[in-house]
Amino acid sequence: MGNLNLSPVVVQIIQVLTILLGAPLVSGTISNISARLQGRRGPRVLQPYYDLIKLFQKETLAPEDSSFVFLLAPMVAFVCYLTVPLLIPVLTTFGLPLGYMGDILGGGFILALAGFSVALAGTETGAPYAQLGSSRAMTFGALIEPTVLMVVFAAGIITSTDLPYAMAATVRSSASEILRPAHVLAALAFFMVVLTDTGRIPVESHSGTLEFGMIDEGRTLEHSGPPFALLKWGSAMKQLILYTILIDVFVAPWGLASNTLLSSVMLAVLALLAKAIVLGVIFAVIDNSFSKLRLFKITEFLAAAFLLGTLSVLIFYLGGG
Amino acid sequence: MQAPAPSSFADISDVIAIFVLLTEFAMFRAPLLRSQLKLYAVQSLLVTVLAGFLATSHHISELYLLGAASFLLKVLAVPYVLTRFLERTEMSLVTGPSLGAASMTLIAIATSAFGFFTMDATKVGSTVLPTTALAISIAIVLVAFLLAIMRSDVVSQAIGFLSLENGVSIASLVVASGLPLIIDVAFLFDLLVAAVVFGLLMKAHHVRAKTLSTANLDRLKG
Repeated sequence: MGNLNLSPVVVQIIQVLTILLGAPLVSGTISNISARLQGRRGPRVLQPYYDLIKLFQKETLAPEDSSFVFLLAPMVAFVCYLTVPLLIPVLTTFGLPLGYMGDILGGGFILALAGFSVALAGTETGAPYAQLGSSRAMTFGALIEPTVLMVVFAAGIITSTDLPYAMAATVRSSASEILRPAHVLAALAFFMVVLTDTGRIPVESHSGTLEFGMIDEGRTLEHSGPPFALLKWGSAMKQLILYTILIDVFVAPWGLASNTLLSSVMLAVLALLAKAIVLGVIFAVIDNSFSKLRLFKITEFLAAAFLLGTLSVLIFYLGGG
Repeated sequence: MQAPAPSSFADISDVIAIFVLLTEFAMFRAPLLRSQLKLYAVQSLLVTVLAGFLATSHHISELYLLGAASFLLKVLAVPYVLTRFLERTEMSLVTGPSLGAASMTLIAIATSAFGFFTMDATKVGSTVLPTTALAISIAIVLVAFLLAIMRSDVVSQAIGFLSLENGVSIASLVVASGLPLIIDVAFLFDLLVAAVVFGLLMKAHHVRAKTLSTANLDRLKG
């Protein structure tokens, strides 16, 4: 049983399923730990699954003036989040059959398409808070984009490819690759990108109910029932995807399966979830130690991330490191 | 073709140097004089850590002494004295041309890029010379200049000068860690003198001008 050799296609399906089914678990664990840090008991770890089940049983309501886009967008976003795990190293050190169909930029485009469709659904409602959320999400998305590009450039010039698998292999190859200044800076910049894109403090409060402070959360205020469930599930998946990229490409690409044996793939699933939860705890600690930035101060945070990304590229080209 | 990985111990000193550069950027952006002083203490602590690391990896016991001296002077004494001074003057905000976050960041990036470029253009590629750390220290010195130039209050200008010394000591640590102790100690004494002189200057300026801003000095004519 433990030595069953899986076909690469099956591993690829397991890879998507890991993200699909593991994402609510990671979200639930983080909110539980975050609550414990604040001295509360917090929700159950499995709470996000119950929320999703409940929402899938509710009826779907749409604002009167909205068109088919309002109901289609959550599905488009969900499919996008299902596609990205095909391209990044989630469980294996080697590329799976569809792993090379897109590079880091390809993954970035698909994530951007998902963000765009959710924002489109938000503007479709005509409701002020959803439109505010969409507008802010697109604005800050545009400001974080240069940083993402710089991180991709840095990864690209270090490995001379733009494949996430090659980057992970380089990091694994020796300890001095991790301590390379360009790599440290790019990883820090990407850490800040993940903070921004998953809607964490200091950019956005994750569990707030105040509409004026909302960015990502605000977009989905008008959705209900199964489409809302897809959006919530999608944002949990986006979080786990970004964690996976940070962990398996930049920071700690260990514990991945180097073959297609069932035992090593299962071990990789557990390793990924454990690493994601450890990273989530770091984010929860940051969540509880800092206050949210004022909306107009967020640009400074993003400028700092851009500075790190640019320095990373500069120091590689000119500083020799 | 992959870029060759940097050598084993040089990369740790490079990373420490990078963090010193980042504290320099943070100082450049800090809106409060107090936070600038805290960042200076952190930066000096990083330089001390670098000295300790080089002492361990190169087996140069003199560097421990230097590290201890610079810890006492730059992490504890100077920030403490300046903080006391600030508490008495009751001024907290940094003054200077108020540029937006984006412009400040771009100026800082351009300046450090120029520093890296200068190092690259000198073409002193040698296997024993830690080019990366040297380039970073040049960038630190340039951003420190920028800090002193763009701020118009005496405390920031003093901090700019002091952190410039941190940049220079990184260069001297990584390039010539085997330098005779007496020279390093002479540097430290220079810094001590500079700190005392700056302290007196700041005090005199505050007593006479009732402000920390140097804006009215621009109007003086000889």
